[in-house]
Amino acid sequence: MSLLFRILPVLALLLGSAMPAAAAGAHQLPLYPESPFEGTFFSWISNSMIMVWIGAGLIMLFCRAATKKMALVPSGVQNFAEWLIESLYDFFGNILGERLVKRTFWFFGATFMLILTVNYLGLIPGVGTITTTDSNGHVTALLRGGNADLNMTGAMSLTFFALWLFWSFSEIGPKNFFSHIFSPKGDFSGFMRVGMVVLFFLVGLLEVLSIVIRPIALSFRLFGNIFGGEQLLEGLMALVPWQLAFLPALPFYFMELLVGLVQALVFTLLCAVFVKLMCDHGDEEHH
Amino acid sequence: MISILAASGAEQGFFATYGVNWPFFIAQLINFILVLLVLKKFAFEPIQEILDKRRTRIADGEAKLEEIQQQLADSEKEKAALLEKANADAKRLIGEAKESAAALSEKKSQEAVATAQNILNKAQEAAKAERATMAAELKQEFGRLVVATTSQVTGKSLDASDQKRINDEAVASLNN
Repeated sequence: MSLLFRILPVLALLLGSAMPAAAAGAHQLPLYPESPFEGTFFSWISNSMIMVWIGAGLIMLFCRAATKKMALVPSGVQNFAEWLIESLYDFFGNILGERLVKRTFWFFGATFMLILTVNYLGLIPGVGTITTTDSNGHVTALLRGGNADLNMTGAMSLTFFALWLFWSFSEIGPKNFFSHIFSPKGDFSGFMRVGMVVLFFLVGLLEVLSIVIRPIALSFRLFGNIFGGEQLLEGLMALVPWQLAFLPALPFYFMELLVGLVQALVFTLLCAVFVKLMCDHGDEEHH
Repeated sequence: MISILAASGAEQGFFATYGVNWPFFIAQLINFILVLLVLKKFAFEPIQEILDKRRTRIADGEAKLEEIQQQLADSEKEKAALLEKANADAKRLIGEAKESAAALSEKKSQEAVATAQNILNKAQEAAKAERATMAAELKQEFGRLVVATTSQVTGKSLDASDQKRINDEAVASLNN
């Protein structure tokens, strides 16, 4: 740890002095995904999409290996998969409650595993740095971090938003859903009641706005953190001669490992909290 | 969300800046939904099923263990009660046996005493009868001796009546 604190100021100095050089340097990761197959039939396949496929493929292989020969007394991959899934189930169960987690775990578990795998895959050397050049001289990264693409994070957020609406309506019903947002909380009568109805209607409008902003915030948070991490690593590597490029980025790789996990947790945790906030009402009624 | 982003975007090229476009977005959406469905079907369902099965098995095992422990406790109680009862029975039997042995011993000793007394009495009676016989024989012998002596002293032979008289007189003097 002390070594890290000794290295950091040196890196900061290097960063300050060499940034212009980096800016003037070679290929930089753009803000948007690109298609390595531009101009062909497969131009709809982006470099981040390939990473998502690889991530999904790895998860599926892992699950296949874990569930191929399932035994009541687990061992090997099955043991690890059970530990992972049981830990996640308990983690989300503590937030959502026994009944809701049984219904929604498949979404939270799968989303967490996908985000985590794709985040870590984005850290593998070569992702974002191995490029192709087309006939016009345009340089495109062959692979790009799956969550460093607003299309992917937006797709996840929108899917969650649709599922959130479905779960909320089916758990508490449309009447309770709107009443949860707009109806006054507390027991009021007379003039106070009229005032509170107006006030809570306005508060409800704000609540609607916050609900609409949720998927936007979710997608931009994940995208920003992952893209920012990749930019940081790339920028740091550009600070020194290529023979030493690994050196300044090395400590930040460990930080990015942490960020990858934290962002996967934050995304799914927030989704779980949003579900709980709306369906909690229903939970009480069911019990 | 896309329309809201479009409305909130200050610049016309907001989506273009972030590379958000329909083909990429729809492809990613389909990817994500497919991954969710595949993982739900082939990962979470089988693993959760086996976890539930194991949980049920463990719960059953726990219930059975509890039942066995309860049965063990009951049987321990039953055993203790049986032992207690057996001890009480044994004590009672021993007491009864002691009492019975004491009574029998008393009875036997009384019988022995009675038998001994009986034997003693018979012996005394026999001794008494023998003594009487001996006394009678002695008297007869004494009478005969007196008669013989008298006959020898007087020098005459005594007839039967004399013998009887002398004999009676001798026995009478012996009795006196």
